Amino acid sequence: MLLDPRAIILFGANVLLLYLTLLVNSALASGSIYLLILGPMLVFPALYLRHQSYFICTLFTGLWVDAALPSAFGLFTIGFLFAGAFVFQMRIRFRAEHNYHPIMLAHGLNFSCILLVTVAMGFSYFSSLGFWLQVVVTSLASHLVLLVVAPWFFNFERMLFELCHMDTEPEDFPTL
Amino acid sequence: MGAPQPLQGRVDRSGQGSRTRQVALFNAQRKETLENEIQRLESILKLPSRREFRYEVARVVRRDLNAWWQQIVIRKGKDFDIPVGAAVVFSGGVVGRVVEVGAFTSRVELITSPNFRMAANFEGDERPVVYQGVVQGGFGTSVGTVRDAPQDVVASTQLPLKLVSTRLGGTFPPGLLIGRVTWLEPGSTGIFQAGEVELDSQLLSLHEVAVLIPLYPIDLDSDAP
Repeated sequence: MLLDPRAIILFGANVLLLYLTLLVNSALASGSIYLLILGPMLVFPALYLRHQSYFICTLFTGLWVDAALPSAFGLFTIGFLFAGAFVFQMRIRFRAEHNYHPIMLAHGLNFSCILLVTVAMGFSYFSSLGFWLQVVVTSLASHLVLLVVAPWFFNFERMLFELCHMDTEPEDFPTL
Repeated sequence: MGAPQPLQGRVDRSGQGSRTRQVALFNAQRKETLENEIQRLESILKLPSRREFRYEVARVVRRDLNAWWQQIVIRKGKDFDIPVGAAVVFSGGVVGRVVEVGAFTSRVELITSPNFRMAANFEGDERPVVYQGVVQGGFGTSVGTVRDAPQDVVASTQLPLKLVSTRLGGTFPPGLLIGRVTWLEPGSTGIFQAGEVELDSQLLSLHEVAVLIPLYPIDLDSDAP
């Protein structure tokens, strides 16, 4: 099968996470706090799916994020595919059935997303102290919130698998 | 199907129609005369042609305010003929400019963004200055910068100067509040002054804005000197 049905569920969950994040950001705008929570979107497609399904799910997620955020078009599509491929090639080392490894991965991927958008969108403001202050505040706030959001999001995705009577095991099991 | 109207009634109705036509004709002639008068006065005063705007009120559906971008999304787009580059205002003054128009939404670059720049002047002083957004520190009130202010302009915390829009840029109508300038210092060239502009704190929590759509958009091919 070209497309694992779980890819559709994971894509839907990613869309929901992005939508909720944007809602929260709109509410927090007056407090000058912004959350960039993109890391968890890449973890389960890379850990659970075969390469075709992973590619399609990550590609569409990247396109969706590119359309929703005012970044340069293609930034997250390309970035997600590279970051996801990096995790995909090492996925045999991670245990996807528990939350510990996925949460660590989510933090790492989220940090790389912040790094990517900082380099791509803020290159001309590198000399500004205010810019770095705000990047640090955004990073800290995002990763603090990620400590709560990531476990919820992964459990939510597993629950969707069960509700839709999908396979709840990853394609490759880790080496023991 | 009713009984035939009496002759007097038909004459009255015909007379009323004639009067209505005459009033409409008079109004049309009066409008043309006034428009000619405006054009004549504008040509005497060497003013740029008056641009009139249509207000399109729109709700803010999203705010993306961070280190990387300072934009909001409003719930009107091509469906309401919102053009790219249109001015966006609110009750407190200037909000920004439309940078992207979708089918049902538009993206607005706020005046806090470093990518935003516009012509302005101090209230009561017609000499033009340049306003530009800066990277926001994230704490305290939003700020921008003003450049090319003349040397004789003095601003202080006791008597802050109001920075308002000017018609020079062509996008904004004159007199809209941008912010308040509490200090000015000699700029990098030494010829002009530069300073910080304190912006309205409501900019970060807008719920509703108005897009100013020009009724007679500038045609760059024919209007450019």
